[in-house]
Amino acid sequence: MKKKPSLWKNHTFRQVLFVLAFLAIWEIVALSKIYPPLLFPDLVSILKALVESTASGEMVQRTWYSLYLILMGLGIGLLISFVMVALAMVSDIFADFMEAMVAINHPLPGVALLPITLLWFGSGEWGIIFVLVHSVVWPMMLNTYAGFRSVSRTQLEVGRNIGLRGLRLVTSVMVPAAFPYIFTGLKISWARAWRSLVAAEMIFGASGKDGGLGWLIYQRRFFLDTPGVFAALGVIILIGIVVESGLFTQLEKRTVQRWGMVVTRS
Amino acid sequence: MAGRMKVEHLWVRFTGEHGEVQALEDIDFSVEPGEFITVLGPSGCGKSTLIRSIAGFQKPEKGRILVGEREVSDPGPDRLMVFQEFDQLFPWRTVLGNLTYALKVKGVAKAEREETARRFIRMVGLEGFEKAFPHQLSGGMKQRGAIARSLALNPEILLMDEPFGSLDAQTRAILQAELVRIWQDVGSTIIFITHNIQEAILLGDRVIVMGTRPGTIKKIVPVPLPRPRLPETPEFMALWHELYSQLEVHRFGENGKVESLVSGKD
Repeated sequence: MKKKPSLWKNHTFRQVLFVLAFLAIWEIVALSKIYPPLLFPDLVSILKALVESTASGEMVQRTWYSLYLILMGLGIGLLISFVMVALAMVSDIFADFMEAMVAINHPLPGVALLPITLLWFGSGEWGIIFVLVHSVVWPMMLNTYAGFRSVSRTQLEVGRNIGLRGLRLVTSVMVPAAFPYIFTGLKISWARAWRSLVAAEMIFGASGKDGGLGWLIYQRRFFLDTPGVFAALGVIILIGIVVESGLFTQLEKRTVQRWGMVVTRS
Repeated sequence: MAGRMKVEHLWVRFTGEHGEVQALEDIDFSVEPGEFITVLGPSGCGKSTLIRSIAGFQKPEKGRILVGEREVSDPGPDRLMVFQEFDQLFPWRTVLGNLTYALKVKGVAKAEREETARRFIRMVGLEGFEKAFPHQLSGGMKQRGAIARSLALNPEILLMDEPFGSLDAQTRAILQAELVRIWQDVGSTIIFITHNIQEAILLGDRVIVMGTRPGTIKKIVPVPLPRPRLPETPEFMALWHELYSQLEVHRFGENGKVESLVSGKD
């Protein structure tokens, strides 16, 4: 085995050090009282706000609600994308239609749709889900369709040759062969949805009885509870890290990288 | 063993980029069970179209192909194709997984799959690479894997479309020798496409020489040499020259130069 490299050469270790250094600087600035604590709270009060809101169950409830919204958005978005792509694979005319729709809608940020969504759906939960579905559907269609079209003819013919037909050919050959693209689509969709979610909640959560993390931030700011705002931001960052660096990176290592099917495009 | 395979007055026409192409014209021959047939011809002579028709990927215009009593209409595991491309193993499965999955699709009982797969992996000399993913293998090893997968399914005919065409000369020579050894062990019927005269003589019991535009059979030449065959012997050389003269077609290129459609030994 290789000799154990020194800790300083370890990328994760270095990154953790930088985060700690950032927190230390934050704390020094906060304690020096250059800025009023109302604008720049120290870490202890942020942590206290976090512990308190977690203990009271509010943070947990808000987090679950946000996660519930995003899972709904992702689920519905994925379902619509797969149906659309399946139709596009069958019909050339539908493929043109779908590509035109993607070209029009893909560059449109979900947040830009918020006012229209308010008019159409009112301020309920479905308004937020509509915005999330919009963030998910277009990148997912774009990538999944590109993936299916990139499946090698040889692999498809091998599949038919060993006796696979119809849906079994799709699930056993086309989906895994297109998986690197589908996975990329999923990563982009998540990133877009997660970012739109917080913005949407700030606008929609205001009149709904439930609210997510975005609404929590909005509320806390309203009550000038700045540590509470930062506590909620911390949770949002944490979930982002867990999903993007944890879940997606692990999934990537176990699939795309392991299979040597890395796609070099974003 | 299986019955003989017959290609009966096969005509194939398809629409390519440059309009209608008569790819094959009145191809008629039969193959005895256990026979090793090589099909030799210049690029564009329709030899790939011929083997793809036998595999069931290409529909005939006229005529038919019989395997035993059955007429070929679709691809199926009784006629397995080994392609030239290196991506014919599924990259998301290990070498072993590629074989066991194909056996599963064929309906082989679970208990038997792994044992059969390992036997054929040993036969092609890929022992120790059972758990490797295709991207970790060299081109030659990938082709060995593809041959193992095809043989494991015990097809009536093994169809090989220039499987060694993308390999370096040395790997190619090794795999040619091994293919003959495996064929002698297993006794399968093989139809092997090549544009290489030496390869055609080294491998085949008979060589089908094809002419170009439209693809026709020019001559069927038996190879009476005992195996293992050595290209340096006078008998081999004589046969080489006979096939070369059969193949040699000159045409006038666009700028008046005479170009040979067939290169010599490569």
